[in-house]
Amino acid sequence: MLCDKCKKNEAKIYYTEIINGEKKEQHLCEDCAMEYSSFQMGTPFMNQEITLGNLLSTILGNYYKENSHSGEHAEKELHCKGCGMTYSEFLKEGRFGCVKCYDTFKKVLEKSIKSIQGSDTHTGKKPKGFETKTEKLVKELPELDKLAIKLQDAIEKEEFEEAVKIRDRIRELKKEEMNNA
Amino acid sequence: MLKWYKEAGNNSDVIISSRVRLARNLKAYPFSAKLSENQAKEMVTKVKDAGLHLQEKEEKKYYSCNVDMLSDTEKTAMMERHIISPLLIAKEQSTGLILSEDEKISIMINEEDHIRIQSIVGGMNMTEAFYLANTADDITSELFDYAFHEKYGYLTSCPTNLGTGLRASYMMFLPALTVAGKVIKLAEELGQYGIALRGTYGEASKSLGSLYQISNQKTLGSTEKEIMDSLNRIVEQVMKQERRQREYILTNGYDEFEDKVYRSYGVLKYAKQLSSGDAMTLLAQLKLGADLALLKFKDNYNIHELMMEIQPANLQCQLDKNIGSVQRDKYRADYIRKKLPDIQ
Ligand SMILES: [Zn+2]
Ligand SMILES: [Zn+2]
Repeated sequence: MLCDKCKKNEAKIYYTEIINGEKKEQHLCEDCAMEYSSFQMGTPFMNQEITLGNLLSTILGNYYKENSHSGEHAEKELHCKGCGMTYSEFLKEGRFGCVKCYDTFKKVLEKSIKSIQGSDTHTGKKPKGFETKTEKLVKELPELDKLAIKLQDAIEKEEFEEAVKIRDRIRELKKEEMNNA
Repeated sequence: MLKWYKEAGNNSDVIISSRVRLARNLKAYPFSAKLSENQAKEMVTKVKDAGLHLQEKEEKKYYSCNVDMLSDTEKTAMMERHIISPLLIAKEQSTGLILSEDEKISIMINEEDHIRIQSIVGGMNMTEAFYLANTADDITSELFDYAFHEKYGYLTSCPTNLGTGLRASYMMFLPALTVAGKVIKLAEELGQYGIALRGTYGEASKSLGSLYQISNQKTLGSTEKEIMDSLNRIVEQVMKQERRQREYILTNGYDEFEDKVYRSYGVLKYAKQLSSGDAMTLLAQLKLGADLALLKFKDNYNIHELMMEIQPANLQCQLDKNIGSVQRDKYRADYIRKKLPDIQ
């Protein structure tokens, strides 16, 4: 079925809304649904995210329907070990129950987050003192490996003076190791 | 200390205020949907203490309270002044608030997310609004372990706030575009850029007082600065369009418009009863007249402040008793008559 609005893309979202007591149904493609929701949310004093959340769960619901044909239908029985939220409960509410939900429903979430947000990777602020997995790993490496990474980094950034310093430090350490051994 | 709406801001003929909201959650607690009443109570007590911490670090006065213990009128009045959200009022669980004395920073506890830091400043000044919210966020984050994901950023109750958790919005005054019937089309256009436009008091199609909220929709994948930069670019365009439309009004129908503005002043100055809808329309007319220098007040006067004060619950708070709507309309007319400055 084609999208009711652009009549070009395939309709993936079944969008229902109630305006002045009348029910209006539309089949929209993801692009049109995003646009549509953005100016359709002007209800007085309503939190705009509420509607967007419902829209998200609609999109997710559609993914689920699609995927269930290809045998991936464990999703519905999936539930979060952190808070007990089930997938169908999430579809209904459009809200997660806890931090762990993001990992529990990761597989179905990934695609749809991209279609709602246009991206699936955070590039903004981090809490003070937050270490990424790589940073943590690097921290635990032996000194020599750490320096090797730093050397590589300095060369990539064309900071050659710094690179020379790091190289000399590596030589020193290697010499010490030899002497100790 | 001056409240944000008493400060003169940049581009205040079109932009009433700049607002930033940051959504944060504590790692150790379930999100709102799965939070028990006991946990909600605990949360309010715990986070409210952050007010003291903020007060110390920022050397500025902060108040805190349990929102669910306030009267309905008090709550609604705070909502009309944009301090708290309708959702916070509607919550049945324990809810809390930390508020700076100048009302520039408010922190809602147990709204859709555990913590929602919000800052408002007058006029077009997103940089300051972000600076304030971000600083408060840094200070609060010293006390709590936030839910943060390496890939997804700040984890929020609803995935549509994921990433930065940032919602940046401008409250805009668009009377000329409203009269020209261009707002709905504008809202559609902005939607294509991931920007939402809706009425501040009512829907985009018939917002009271021609006040609109323009904000980013996406929160993940761009940095805070990128999000605000792209919002700014679009808002500059909207501002240009509004000003162009105002010029059009001045050149094509000056007399008619001048007459309208003075009539509005006349009604506001002498009416005995005013509904909030009528008052908002007339005040919007007056603000536009003043912005276009068609009419000059003897004292510098901020019409938007009056627009907030005459909202039903704010009036009720000043009266300190519950009154019916007829009485309220009388009181509103009285109030405006007293507050409205003379014209030159
Ligand atoms: Zn379409
Ligand atoms: Zn969970």
